[in-house]
Amino acid sequence: MIFQILLIAFAAFALAITFRQYRARKVSLYWFIVWAILWLVVIAVALLPQATDPVAQLVGVQRGADLLVYIAIVVLAYGLYKVLVRLEKVQKEISDVVRQVGINRVEKPKDHE
Amino acid sequence: MKIVAIIPAYNEGSRVAEAVRDALLFVDDAVVIDDCSSDKTSEQAFKAGAFVLRHIINRGQGAALQTGTDYALENLNADIVVHFDADGQMQGKDIPKMIKPILDNQADVVLGSRFLSGKLQMPLSRKIILKLGIVFTLIISGIKLSDTHCGFRALSRKAAREIKITRDRMAHASEILDLIKVKKMRFVECAVEIKYSKESLAKGQSSWGAFIIVKDLLKSKFLDI
Repeated sequence: MIFQILLIAFAAFALAITFRQYRARKVSLYWFIVWAILWLVVIAVALLPQATDPVAQLVGVQRGADLLVYIAIVVLAYGLYKVLVRLEKVQKEISDVVRQVGINRVEKPKDHE
Repeated sequence: MKIVAIIPAYNEGSRVAEAVRDALLFVDDAVVIDDCSSDKTSEQAFKAGAFVLRHIINRGQGAALQTGTDYALENLNADIVVHFDADGQMQGKDIPKMIKPILDNQADVVLGSRFLSGKLQMPLSRKIILKLGIVFTLIISGIKLSDTHCGFRALSRKAAREIKITRDRMAHASEILDLIKVKKMRFVECAVEIKYSKESLAKGQSSWGAFIIVKDLLKSKFLDI
């Protein structure tokens, strides 16, 4: 019971933050909708945990809560991988910019000026 | 034939000038890439007669080598580039024999080796790590060498153009070997003398560095973009 209340409170808080970010134009409409759906689902599952059981049994997992944990792990792992790949790309881009700045501002020895 | 030494330097203010002067006895130009040092590396290198390029953010030795290579090829019209250290461990007098196989059109890449001469003085722990590096390189890159992470290299213009270093940090050494194999370049090893001083050993790669290189390299194999 306490866990359910905490979960709902956290999801509502996250939803409010996302809405504020959207209003401040820091988050696009697309991402606001994605996050809003996610947090609404979390609230719905917290209110009616048994409702997910039939779906879970359909795919061969006993309880809906377990299914959600499995899905969450896979989604998070994939998200982390995407972030790492993006990070590598950004690192390369930073190197390219730093390289170009270095080349543009070369200091030449006096006999080469 | 224009020979250009490429010297990446990070906080080498006390030693870079000597390395530049030593290299300039045997090459036409020296390019020092100051990888965002907090000391007077740039000033010292400039006073010693080098072209100085400064990274405004520290990007690592691999990135610095690529910056120097780009500049040497595009702006200095280098025919041969030589990778040379800023810490005085490498000896300028080895440069002529490093570039000879390229001048004689026998190789595209010449790799310095500390082990070929048989006169090497180095701590046992480092020797073991380097030998493990040889086995690791043989497995990963399929190239058998006597020394895989010496850092002293000479590349023909063609080789320097084709070998684009994308591993910014220390894994570039293995990446270069990878590319030599993939692009089927002709390479030879050449015995060079490396002088280890207490100061340079303290600052150089620690043995733990080997594990970081392995980690970087494995990461690059899985996260290639």
